[in-house]
Amino acid sequence: MPVITYVQADGSTSVVDAPAGTTVMKAAIANDVTGIVAECGGQAMCATCHVYVSTPDSSSLGEISEDENEMLDCTAAPRTEQSRLSCQLVVQERYDGLTVRVPEYQV
Amino acid sequence: MSTAYQEPAGADVTLDELYQDPYPAFRWFREHDPVPWIPAAGRYLVTRHRDIVFVDTHPEMFSADEQGSLVTRVMGHNMLRKDGAAHDRDRRAAEPALRPRIVKEHWTPRFQQNADDLIDGFIENGSGDLFRDFAGPLSARNLAAIMGLRDVADQDLQTWSQALIDGAGNYADDPDVWARCEAASLGVDAAIDAVIPYLQANPDGSVISAMLHADEPLAPDEIRANVKVFIGGGLNEPRDAVGVAAWATLTHPEVRRAVEADPTLWRRVFEEAVRWIAPIGMYPRQTTQEVELGGRVLPAGARLGVCAGSANRDETVFERPDEFDIDRPPAPHVAFGGGPHFCLGTWAARAQVAQIALPTLFRRLRGLRLDEQDPVRLGGWVFRGVLNLPAVWDA
Repeated sequence: MPVITYVQADGSTSVVDAPAGTTVMKAAIANDVTGIVAECGGQAMCATCHVYVSTPDSSSLGEISEDENEMLDCTAAPRTEQSRLSCQLVVQERYDGLTVRVPEYQV
Repeated sequence: MSTAYQEPAGADVTLDELYQDPYPAFRWFREHDPVPWIPAAGRYLVTRHRDIVFVDTHPEMFSADEQGSLVTRVMGHNMLRKDGAAHDRDRRAAEPALRPRIVKEHWTPRFQQNADDLIDGFIENGSGDLFRDFAGPLSARNLAAIMGLRDVADQDLQTWSQALIDGAGNYADDPDVWARCEAASLGVDAAIDAVIPYLQANPDGSVISAMLHADEPLAPDEIRANVKVFIGGGLNEPRDAVGVAAWATLTHPEVRRAVEADPTLWRRVFEEAVRWIAPIGMYPRQTTQEVELGGRVLPAGARLGVCAGSANRDETVFERPDEFDIDRPPAPHVAFGGGPHFCLGTWAARAQVAQIALPTLFRRLRGLRLDEQDPVRLGGWVFRGVLNLPAVWDA
């Protein structure tokens, strides 16, 4: 099963087993990872599941859709080239070992 | 503002007490009995932030499709009272009109025009009730634009909205309320039917157009039911957010100085206003199975009143929760709900209130201050806000 590491702004980490087919957001919620708020439950409407993807090969995560792109302009913490909405990252086997950084704030 | 809630509290709280000021009772419940059965409301109230987040994020246990729902009775079956795929279909049809980019590019200029037109109409008076003359009609005008309705008077939309809300809360079965509701329903249907042929042929950015031209288009009766819930729910929220935020700013000089120095802080004023006094204070859910919540075992079919107004004052999430403080540490309020029913109008509300209504009002009305002769009143717990906002300014 893919393993995902969430790194908080203070440097603490959570290592989570994420079955293929779930999302990086849902895996965080299911494991009580702090800092992933996900107000809208995964509809790409709230911008509160923002993460920074710090793996060099972020292209393997899939394209940023139009809906995700406009919502990334609404994040509370600054958008960077590493910004993604974790609700739009559907876990696949190749996500094993993925590390995401959780922003300091989501609202 | 709040005082210690005196015994006998709990289940004996009356609806009138909740209407006047629900926060002392909410605080008592959060501490002593977080999911109380309230006979006067016919519901268990869910009062703690974490329990409400749990309800919002577990729709399979907590259905929005309440049996005997008065919302469904007065508006027709709509997305607010649907679950799962049926909800998602209605919502996806409307969503393109309400996403952040179209709000910014298409609706925000309209919001600005509407705000300026209204202020042009009363600025020379030097005084007025900003709830009646600004917050209400602005919200009506913006809502009509977003829906795609044309030639609907501000007052008609406000009358329809209030009648639908009153019908959705008519547990007393008052025949006069049903009659007003029926008249409102006919008015809304006529306004929708008047624009459908045009929008069918000429798509635009509006909600009704989006519903007509969705991948899975909605039928006219589905459009009528869903637009009614937008009218019932989409008018008083921005209205009450403007009212409460303006009142809070006028009574907190340090906040006023801050936003006048940096208008981007209006967004913080808006978020703190809807946290402090959530425009939708309570919304219903019904359990689909036996479930434990807040230490109480609820049977299947139990009716719940999810008290966003209480969650937003939960002292485990917000320090000094009864204070209006735009500098409080960021924490997620639940004024927009959460999960599948997360407010579809969130971005339209942020734009029309925080970017347009509040900055325009305070920029254009020089020397704006409350009218000391006429106190501001508040009311409500299902919906809560100021009931008037008498003000004077330099004409």
